[in-house]
Amino acid sequence: MIEYEWKFREVLEYWPAFLNGMALTAQLSLILLIAAILGGVIVGSARYSKNRFFNWPATFFIEAFRNTPVFVQIIWFFFAFPILIGVQMEGFYAALLGIGLNMIAYSAEIFRAGIQSIERGQWEAGRAIGMNYFQSMRRVVLPQAIRRMIPAFANRVIELVKSTSIASTIAVGELLYQGHQLANTIYRPMETYTIVAVLFFLMIYPLALLTYFLEKKLNVDMRSN
Amino acid sequence: MIEVKKLYKSFGSLDVLHGIDLVVEKGETVCLLGSSGSGKSTFLRCLNFMEHPTAGSIAFDGKLLGRETGLHLDATTYKYDERELSRHRASVGMVFQQFNLFPHMTVLQNVMEGPLTVKGHARRDCKTIARHQLERVGLIDKSEVYPSRLSGGQQQRVAIARSLAMEPDVMLFDEVTSSLDPELVGEVLDTMQELSSEGMTMMVVTHELGFAYHVADRVLFLHDGVIAEQGAPEDVLKNPKTDPVKAFLSGFNNFHF
Amino acid sequence: MGYDWDFSYVFKNQGILWEGFVGTIQIATASLFLGLVVGLFLASLRMSKYRLLSIPATCLIEFLRMTPLMVQIFWVFFALPILIDVRLDPFAAGLIAFSMQSGSFFAEVFRGGIQSIDRSQWEGAKSLGMTNLKMMRRIILPQAVRRMIPPLMERSFELIKGTTQMAAISYSDLLYNAMVLSSQLYRPVEIMTFTALFYLCFLTLISFGMRTIETRIEKARE
Repeated sequence: MIEYEWKFREVLEYWPAFLNGMALTAQLSLILLIAAILGGVIVGSARYSKNRFFNWPATFFIEAFRNTPVFVQIIWFFFAFPILIGVQMEGFYAALLGIGLNMIAYSAEIFRAGIQSIERGQWEAGRAIGMNYFQSMRRVVLPQAIRRMIPAFANRVIELVKSTSIASTIAVGELLYQGHQLANTIYRPMETYTIVAVLFFLMIYPLALLTYFLEKKLNVDMRSN
Repeated sequence: MIEVKKLYKSFGSLDVLHGIDLVVEKGETVCLLGSSGSGKSTFLRCLNFMEHPTAGSIAFDGKLLGRETGLHLDATTYKYDERELSRHRASVGMVFQQFNLFPHMTVLQNVMEGPLTVKGHARRDCKTIARHQLERVGLIDKSEVYPSRLSGGQQQRVAIARSLAMEPDVMLFDEVTSSLDPELVGEVLDTMQELSSEGMTMMVVTHELGFAYHVADRVLFLHDGVIAEQGAPEDVLKNPKTDPVKAFLSGFNNFHF
Repeated sequence: MGYDWDFSYVFKNQGILWEGFVGTIQIATASLFLGLVVGLFLASLRMSKYRLLSIPATCLIEFLRMTPLMVQIFWVFFALPILIDVRLDPFAAGLIAFSMQSGSFFAEVFRGGIQSIDRSQWEGAKSLGMTNLKMMRRIILPQAVRRMIPPLMERSFELIKGTTQMAAISYSDLLYNAMVLSSQLYRPVEIMTFTALFYLCFLTLISFGMRTIETRIEKARE
């Protein structure tokens, strides 16, 4: 092993590149988070529905997207999809589509499982005091189900932020891409990639702490029941 | 008050109720007895359409529920409108074996929920109603507590208050003491006895023969989906005439009235 | 719209795709096994009584779980060789990255499984006068392993999907070969669609197999 001379300070002089990368990573993550919540609720409701017209397509969508690698989805949306619809597509949008649909599939399943985990007695109690389906759902089932979904969903959000780094391969200028470009320009891969990894960790770890906190809180709630 | 004619109910190929006729007068307390699987819970659940009857008519206060669609054996079948059923359920209180309180709401919020969401009353009025009902079941001091902090007996009394808050014409009790520890059964039965003496119309599915004997105006004994025997409690419980009732009562050999 | 699909491009060149698929299987199995070993090692460090072992292990596990796989692959491929002065080919780099990351996830599964066993079991075993090692082997592990299997399978599934990210450092797995082929033939639509569908079938088959195993275990428990 040779003695390696660390030069973190020199690399850190390029902080605007890292900052730009982090900004785009955060932007991608935020858009995807909103998409995952909205899409997850819609697809999850369809999956929960007893009506085949909604249930079957939703089930197919969820299974298809959970059983293909997200990288393959991104690549498909980047290289194949634009030709099919005859439109140019930036990497940014291909990444949003690929990761977004994947995330929606996972959140839909979390949403459905959350609703299904509520005991039948809760529905019955709502109906027994004269609530209709939507009132029972809104007042009784959803408030409890959402609490149960939160830890699983928070875990998914962590996966979401991590998967945005894949977009670097189709030239989306997020954090890893910026690091990659920088490493190639200044020939300091060791420092650059280490900084990239640490920055990702700093972005993701607070989410993990939040997840741990929520899991613990939920456990306490359940024990007191 | 309640008029049931030729009520049939089957789950798939399993026939549970085989044509039950019953009239319950206003203010009457009727206890339904029978071994498990006799259909007594199913019958009760049909009365507020937690289960839809396969055939037969149910009328409350002279008003028939549903729209005639055809015939099944000797009984008429009906189609029900969900909105009509919701309205109906709002006027019929039901208390469950498993309490089914809303765990994410405080005791007060649980009791307020019906008047607030279903009847659309103003929040302040709902609070007044809820307080009044909680006082009635003796739990006003637990208003701000979550159900998980209460004993089973207390939870069940809150569930009763929640039903009463809808100011129902009839109360249905589905084995409400069956999942309680023995020492907690009494407080729930006391609450029910009080309700009965105040003139509430009640249908009670229970295994508490003492309660049936002392509180009920009439006892029904269900066996294999039909009413095997009915009458005043002292007649049915002390001098059973049919074999299934005799067999059932002999299971309670340490029971003294 | 109105695109002229022609899948003959795929079938005429299926050889290179099959080669890629073999590459996928190779990296997946190799890193799965190495990952389990790493996982056991990290878990025993993390559960150690000695803070000198447990704290660094905890930090490493958390760091590897909370950074993107792609970043780790790049770090091992581009940065690590400089530090240790050894050239790594894509396979070796991928193997290190995967087995370290999956190892951290596996370690948490192992730890969670063992800690999920009720304290009364430990006490029961202790009251019989068992040694720590015997207790672990005879009482705790047999119960814990059953609980570990579902999350282990889930993590392995994620690992298999993750192998596609090796394409980013030019390891010829199925995805990389498909990308090369489609840029040579200018037929990304057919080749990428086929590749996606192939992954879908392959992974559906695997998840079906995993579900079967899971239900078997559930049944065996009853």
